[in-house]
Amino acid sequence: MKNTLKVERAILNLTQDELAKEIGVSRQTINSIETNRYVPSTVLALKLSELFKKPVNDFFTLEEND
Amino acid sequence: MTLLKNIWEWDKRNFERLRRFQLPHRFKQIGFALFLVAFLALLAFRFVNNDATVIKTSLKYILLIGLLIISVSKEKIEDERIVQLRQQSYQVAFVVGVLYSILILPLVNYMADVIFKKESLGFEVNSWEVLFIMLLMQWFIFRMMRKKCS
Repeated sequence: MKNTLKVERAILNLTQDELAKEIGVSRQTINSIETNRYVPSTVLALKLSELFKKPVNDFFTLEEND
Repeated sequence: MTLLKNIWEWDKRNFERLRRFQLPHRFKQIGFALFLVAFLALLAFRFVNNDATVIKTSLKYILLIGLLIISVSKEKIEDERIVQLRQQSYQVAFVVGVLYSILILPLVNYMADVIFKKESLGFEVNSWEVLFIMLLMQWFIFRMMRKKCS
């Protein structure tokens, strides 16, 4: 799975730490998602979607081998 | 019927509570303190040659309790990724514990037999050692995962 979390974060001008606080996770979790080491749960994805005011599909996309 | 249903609901609630049981983050320090004190005391007893078996045994138990408290204490931010890493660390620790008791310990005992020509200890497994290895492995693996998977 690919994601454009970093881009979305840049649009809102948030740091990893600020975004983490906003949705109630640790900074390391945001970092892990951005570097494709952790796939977030649906709950977390929806929280991000709410914050970015965009559907989940806009920043999370499936890859060929998924 | 309603009574049965109530009992069922109560049981379900309690089970859920048990499933999510964790100590607050500050208990981690208490656990670590217990572990450290017991560990140092046991180390000290190695150099003092006396037969304080009762004290030694209780120290060993305190050490395990300390490790257990560390193991069931929350992280500062216990989010879903931490929950996943925690589960994985228990998984690895369990496998290591079993491997230790069926493979490593008998092998070490066998080597000791060959080298020191002592009475064979065979497959005798010390439960304290196994628990110690499991808890310690869980702690270290969890720490390592938190560092490397972030």
